[in-house]
Amino acid sequence: MKIPGRKYLFLGILVIIAIFFIGGCKSEHRFVKKTSFQGADKIVIEFAGPVDKTWAENQSNYTVCEKPDPDIRLKLQQVTVSGDKKSVALTFADPLNKSRPHVVTVNNISSEGKSLGTAILNVKKFYLGYLFSILIGAMIINNFVFTKYLGLCVFFGTSQKKSTAVGMGITFTLVIVVSAMMSWFIYQFVLQPYRLDFLQIVVFIGLVSLSVQAVDTVLRKVNPLLFKAFGVYLVLVIANCIIIAVPLILADNEYNAWESLMLSLGAGLGFLIALFLMSSVRERLELANVPPTYRGLPIAFVVAGLFALAFLGFSGMSIF
Amino acid sequence: MDPVLIKLAIGGVAVLGCIGLFFGIGLALAAHKFAVEANPKVEEVLEVLAGAQ
Repeated sequence: MKIPGRKYLFLGILVIIAIFFIGGCKSEHRFVKKTSFQGADKIVIEFAGPVDKTWAENQSNYTVCEKPDPDIRLKLQQVTVSGDKKSVALTFADPLNKSRPHVVTVNNISSEGKSLGTAILNVKKFYLGYLFSILIGAMIINNFVFTKYLGLCVFFGTSQKKSTAVGMGITFTLVIVVSAMMSWFIYQFVLQPYRLDFLQIVVFIGLVSLSVQAVDTVLRKVNPLLFKAFGVYLVLVIANCIIIAVPLILADNEYNAWESLMLSLGAGLGFLIALFLMSSVRERLELANVPPTYRGLPIAFVVAGLFALAFLGFSGMSIF
Repeated sequence: MDPVLIKLAIGGVAVLGCIGLFFGIGLALAAHKFAVEANPKVEEVLEVLAGAQ
């Protein structure tokens, strides 16, 4: 039987692009078109239609805070409405910390005398540099293995030989990207609308094992050689804590599709880097003169600790 | 009990059931499509061999 692989690949790519378009276009309120930072101390909100000037210029209609600290309100200095009344610029007393997402609550939007309800808006920097900083952050600065100590069982189990370590890292990256994107989709479009957020852990675990099973089934047929090389490690991916941590972080921070992709990719590549570094050291340790009590796992833990210390050097670094 | 909570619980069971059913059928179809024909003779030969190593 011949598999029409190209057709399926094409269809898959189409579906992924469609998901990203849905994710990118998701607006928090039907009357609000766009929110963005401008200059050092301004947030601009663009509406779909003209708003009432008296309502828009009333400063008590806006509450703004940084997302991690909802109880610290930022001080508004001035509200200016543009000529066509379709956009409003909020000027603040202090410069904004643009690396953090801000939450703007707009009370009772009023347009041509009609009230359109309250909107809670997330204002974020959206450009490639921000996505890149999420990627590098998850990969190196906040490496899941060395700074958060997650996924250690698989990490120590598969880092004895370089070849298995790299194979594991690549499989892991593949699985984590697929499962994190599915979890993001289910969380945003099923769990949140039905207010079932409290079931997120159950759902995410199910999705992880689903994607592992899917990769297992497909790989067995499409590339039996690679499947044999991975062996038991493919199933071991389910028992990894990073793979469940990433969807929980995504749900917590309410990332959009691109940010989720970057975080999951960064987590997977970070795990690959960690595995590669560790396996190269452990291959040399085989030949080293290690005291008998420390041979095997104990010295591996010591080495991992040293790596973690080295990775501490990246902490506090920020890109862009 | 609060009817809102009961509604939430029943809704949760229904939604999770739907997700499970959907992905379960998907997996079953995938397994059918990508089925690997295992040769029964391989297992028979392995059984006959000593198999210590």
